[in-house]
Amino acid sequence: MGQELLTVKNLNKSFGGIHALKDINLTIRSNEIHCFAGINGSGKSTFIKCVSGIYEPDQGEIILNGRSYSRLSPQEAIEKGIQVIYQDLSLFSHLTIAENIAINKIMNSKKRLVSQKEIYSVAQTQLEKIGVEMDLNATVQESTMANCQLTAICRALAMDAKLIFMDEPTTALTGKEVKRLLTIVMDLKKKGYAIVFISHKLDEIFDIADKISIFRDGEIVGDFERSELDKKKLSHYMTGREVEYPRYVRTFQDNTPLLQVDRLGQKENYQDISFSVRPGDILGLTGLLGSGRTELGLTLFGLNPHNEGSIFFEGRELRRLTPGLMKSLGIGLLPEDRAAQGLFANRSVKQNLSSVVLERFSRTAGLLDQKEEERIAIEISTDMNVKTSSVDAPVSTLSGGNQQKVVIGKWIASKPKLFIMDAPTVGIDVGSKAEIYDKIQFYASQGMAILLISDEIEEIVLNCNRILVMAQGRQIAMIEEEERLQASQSELEEKIMQLISEENPLPVQTQGGAVV
Amino acid sequence: MRKRKVINRTEWFLIGIIFLYCAMVTLVNPAFLSFETLFDILRSSAVTTIMAAGIMVVIISGGIDVSFTAVALFGAYVTTKILTETSAAWMEHLGIAFLLSIFMGIIWGLLNAVIVHKLKLPAFIITLGTQNLIFGVMTTFIGSKTYGAAAIPKVFSRFASAQLFRIHTASGTIGVSSFVIPVAIVLALTWFIMYKTKMGRSIFALGNSESAAMRIGINPFRVRLFVYAYMGALAGVAGVVYVSQVRSMYPNALVGDELSVIAAAVIGGTKLSGGQGKLLGAFLGVLIVHLLNNTLIFLGLSSSWNDFFIGALMIVSVSVTAYQERLKNRKHFIFTE
Repeated sequence: MGQELLTVKNLNKSFGGIHALKDINLTIRSNEIHCFAGINGSGKSTFIKCVSGIYEPDQGEIILNGRSYSRLSPQEAIEKGIQVIYQDLSLFSHLTIAENIAINKIMNSKKRLVSQKEIYSVAQTQLEKIGVEMDLNATVQESTMANCQLTAICRALAMDAKLIFMDEPTTALTGKEVKRLLTIVMDLKKKGYAIVFISHKLDEIFDIADKISIFRDGEIVGDFERSELDKKKLSHYMTGREVEYPRYVRTFQDNTPLLQVDRLGQKENYQDISFSVRPGDILGLTGLLGSGRTELGLTLFGLNPHNEGSIFFEGRELRRLTPGLMKSLGIGLLPEDRAAQGLFANRSVKQNLSSVVLERFSRTAGLLDQKEEERIAIEISTDMNVKTSSVDAPVSTLSGGNQQKVVIGKWIASKPKLFIMDAPTVGIDVGSKAEIYDKIQFYASQGMAILLISDEIEEIVLNCNRILVMAQGRQIAMIEEEERLQASQSELEEKIMQLISEENPLPVQTQGGAVV
Repeated sequence: MRKRKVINRTEWFLIGIIFLYCAMVTLVNPAFLSFETLFDILRSSAVTTIMAAGIMVVIISGGIDVSFTAVALFGAYVTTKILTETSAAWMEHLGIAFLLSIFMGIIWGLLNAVIVHKLKLPAFIITLGTQNLIFGVMTTFIGSKTYGAAAIPKVFSRFASAQLFRIHTASGTIGVSSFVIPVAIVLALTWFIMYKTKMGRSIFALGNSESAAMRIGINPFRVRLFVYAYMGALAGVAGVVYVSQVRSMYPNALVGDELSVIAAAVIGGTKLSGGQGKLLGAFLGVLIVHLLNNTLIFLGLSSSWNDFFIGALMIVSVSVTAYQERLKNRKHFIFTE
């Protein structure tokens, strides 16, 4: 067992009337991966901000390397070796990887001058620590999320971190990238670092954790060794109830195909894809990064045009697809990157919800009926169970789960016939996830066709009555309804897992010239 | 690993245009290709180059300043006034003139920084306000009379006619104006600050993301104070060079030229959204603008063609970079159109 690095005793923190942290007691040791589990708003982030000096605790004691503090300044926390990698990574997008890695160290040194050589050597040393090669001259903007995440880790290491907090580091990564990150994290642990790992993905927690602390409503409701817990018990502690997702079964009667895709291809991204979707289908589209799943989804919404094969919607062949045309036909797209492509972050919940259906409340000469807009917004937000103080609140103030409900809701408002959902539950807590699954299945049972793109195999198997598996731009399997009904959940999961890993012998080419 | 590029794509594009244009003009009028033309362009672009270096720094930090022409005018005008009215002989010195003008520039720059930072308002609006304010302070409280060539302090005209070195050609002797000295100093200093100092890193970092910059311990207020004060100081330098060049001081000079200076920086690849920009690009941008300014006459075109060419150039150069970025984004599946 490693030595005690950080001990927290009876830590309390309130904001206004809300008791965000209640009597937290916790010890973090070196050579250990300590996972924090808990749904959004359970106090994990507040805790991190207290021990990294951003917030001043109301009460309690923080013991760092044997010295007791009632509060820490951010500078003290950094000097004592505490580093936090926030979810947004806080990287500088126009600066190079090398500069991003070294900038913290340089800013905290006494020297006023910087040399390019020093930047390189600092960056190179950190990369060696995690055993990774990267293009140090690529800017962050042109690097993959995985490489950005590694850059942030290197930046923390450059500051001689002893304890690294990682806030949901895997949300934006694909299966393969996650594995690589977890390997690196385990390696850091062996080298003596203490890692606090926050994730919503229970699989990952069980893969790497030595200890698991479960947060609920600002309290730690359990501290466990990894071996004392299983998935079911963990989700029980997190939510206070055992989460059982229902499996979707199609009941809709109409079997006329809504969307038909025939030998569709786009050079570089995917080839020879054929399938059809009926009303009430939830067709799963799964595969690794680079399998072409997202690219295919974008094509079907009129982005990223195809150059082979044909697309039929309601029996009519579509040429020259544009997002406007697809929308008017009754097709919606939930984009993969919620923050950048799905939301108008600074606008209100109301304006986000009404953005797809402006014509429903636009009157003579394009004037907008504000009352009607408000009514529509309230109707959808109630329907989607969006938790917000009011529909006038900026959508950026909502939690990730609620933001996603807004993105889904704005399309639901237009009552699409086909809804393409790319990674609908990425970075979302267990509670919101269950609600979103429930909604997806409900709308499908009403006759909406859904194309669910995801690399979470469990999500695919639960929600989809038919599953298309892709690898390297090719359709490698189509699991139809009968087969899916006969197989058990775990049998299907194993089958898909094997399919995508076997059929993927070539390394995945990534952007920015980096090797993943 | 890819090599870090000394000359990027935008800059090659600009260099290409310069060569192409020069070749074209030489074909039409061989008289163009001479040292005289080159020295002429260097001399006439001095003021713009100095100000463009400053505005590039401001824009990289994520800010903008449209008051710098007013600052330059203020510095130049007040310095001229002080030097003409003083009886102390030691004041009649070029160094004193620069120091005075730079000092006033820094004061105005600091004021800009304080207002922009403390009020958290768009820098464009604030500096548009201070531009008028500075101009107003000058004309109301200090004076608005014109200093003609005869009234201008001797140091300025001596500075203007001084030559760094001369070369002898068939058509006579021509010299390199001493204006290249302040220009060279400003370019070297700006390069050093931006690429070799911690302050330079902080400026890039702030322009990329203010919140990320704060999280690594950068104080945005300090950076802004530096950036706007630096712009002010360079405006002060530009002011003195300007009076020397024009050999007269009108109370309405310079103001109104700020957008064309910003345009030169933007043509050179400085991103108005902040965080990105290169000194070489900005310099090439200035060079192109002045090349067109000075040499359209060789093509037999009137100076009214000037605006047409600069406008077209700006649109083309900005579109080319934007298009390249879009191609890159498409590869990453970011659809901005």
